[in-house]
Amino acid sequence: MSSMSSLREKILNTASNLFQTQGINSTGVDTIVAVAGTTKMTLYKYFNSKEILILEVLKQGHQDFQNWLNDKLSANTKKPSEKLQKLFDYIEEWVTSPDFNGIGFIKASAEFPKEDNPVHQLSAEQSQQFRDYIKHLAIDANIQDADGLALQLSLLFKGAAQAEQMQRGSGAIKYAKQAAKILIDGALKN
Amino acid sequence: MDLFNSPWLINMLAKSSKTAQGRLLSLFDILDDWLKAPNVDKKATMDAAANSTLIAYCAEQARLLGAESPEVLAEHIVLIARSAAQQAIEQPSSNSLAHAKKAAHALILAQTHKAGLFSNLKESKPAIYGLAASLLLIIGASAIWMPAFMHSGPAQAVATQTAISTEIPAAIEDKQLTALDASRMYAKYEQMRQGTCQFPEALQIPDQHKAIYLENVVGGKLPSDLADLAVANFYLEKVRCNFTPMLMAASK
Repeated sequence: MSSMSSLREKILNTASNLFQTQGINSTGVDTIVAVAGTTKMTLYKYFNSKEILILEVLKQGHQDFQNWLNDKLSANTKKPSEKLQKLFDYIEEWVTSPDFNGIGFIKASAEFPKEDNPVHQLSAEQSQQFRDYIKHLAIDANIQDADGLALQLSLLFKGAAQAEQMQRGSGAIKYAKQAAKILIDGALKN
Repeated sequence: MDLFNSPWLINMLAKSSKTAQGRLLSLFDILDDWLKAPNVDKKATMDAAANSTLIAYCAEQARLLGAESPEVLAEHIVLIARSAAQQAIEQPSSNSLAHAKKAAHALILAQTHKAGLFSNLKESKPAIYGLAASLLLIIGASAIWMPAFMHSGPAQAVATQTAISTEIPAAIEDKQLTALDASRMYAKYEQMRQGTCQFPEALQIPDQHKAIYLENVVGGKLPSDLADLAVANFYLEKVRCNFTPMLMAASK
C-alpha cells in the first residue's frame, strides 16, 4: 500500500516539476511517465486523465504554499497586524528562492483561459482563496475595508509574481513589498 | 477591439493628464470606463497578451517621474491592470480597477521613494503644511526679489517677506499647485537658467527626496502637488547660482 501511494506521489511530483518548468500544455503524459520511471497504465490507474492529474498537481501545490505561509506566519508573528505586514516578507522570500518557477494558479489560468475549463475554474478558485486568506488577516488586524485591502494586495502580489516569472531578479517583488507596506500602513490608520 | 493592444489606448493615456503619474494612473480609469460602456465585447478586450507598445509607453512615463526601475514599474502596472480588468469582467461589483489604481499608486511611491513623505504627510499634516507654507513664502519672496538676484551675487534665500500670505491657505487646502505656484516655480527655473548654478550632489540627498530633487529641481519639471513643492523648494534654496555677467566675472 505504501509503495503504491509513494508511486502516486512520485508521479504527482514529477508532473508538478515538469508543469512548472516546461508548461502544462507542452508536457505530454509520455514525458511524465518516462521521467517518473513508470508506465502510462500506472499513471492512469491513479489519475483517470491528464486533466485530473493537472487538477491534483494544482491542489497539492496550493496546499503546500498555504501551509508554508501559515507556518511561517504563526511561528514568527503574534499580533494580527504584524502578520499582515510580514506576509510580503515571506512571499518575497519564496519568490526570490532559486526554486521559484511561478505560481501554479496564475500559470494554469494563463494556459487555460476558457472560463468553462475545470483547470481555469480551479485556478480562479485558488486565486480567490488566497485573496480571502489576506482578507482574514486584514479582518483580524481590525482593518475597515478588509475586502479592498485584500484585493489591492493580491493584485500587487500577482503582478509581481508574473513579472518575476518573466524575468528573474527583476526586483518587482521588492517594490511590491514596499507598496504593500504603504497600503497596509494607510489601512491601519483609517 | 483588443483594448490593451490598441493605439487608441495610448492616445487616451497621452491626453489624460499633464503629469507622467497622472497618465500612468489614468490607465485604470480608462479601462474602467471602457468596461462599463455598453455594447463592448469585453472578452475581446482581454484576448491577447499585453502589447509591448503599452509597456514601452508606460516605461517612458515611469522614467519621466523618476522611477528607480521604469521598465519594471511599467510592466508591473500593466500586469495589475490586466488582472484587475479580468476581474472587473468576472465580478463587476468588485470595483477592482479602483483598487488596482491604489495599488499602482503605492508602487509609484515605492519606486520614487516618496513613501516616507507620504506617511509623514498622513502622520503630521500640519507640520508638512507649515513647511509648505513657509517655503512658499520664501519662493514668493524670491520671485519678488528676482530682479535683484539677476544682478547680484549668489542667490540667497530671503524669508522676511509676507506679501503673499493671503494666497497660501487656499493653495494648501487643495493640495494641488495653483497657477500662481506654478508661475513662481517657472520663474525660479527661468532664473536658474540665466545663471551658472551649482547643484548639491544627488548623493547627499536623502533617498526619499532624490526623485523630487532630480525631477523638480535639477530637471526643472513642475512638482505635481504641494508636498513635492515643499521638498523641491527646500532643495532649490540649496542651489547656488552666479548671475554675474561673464565679462565682469573675468575682470575680478
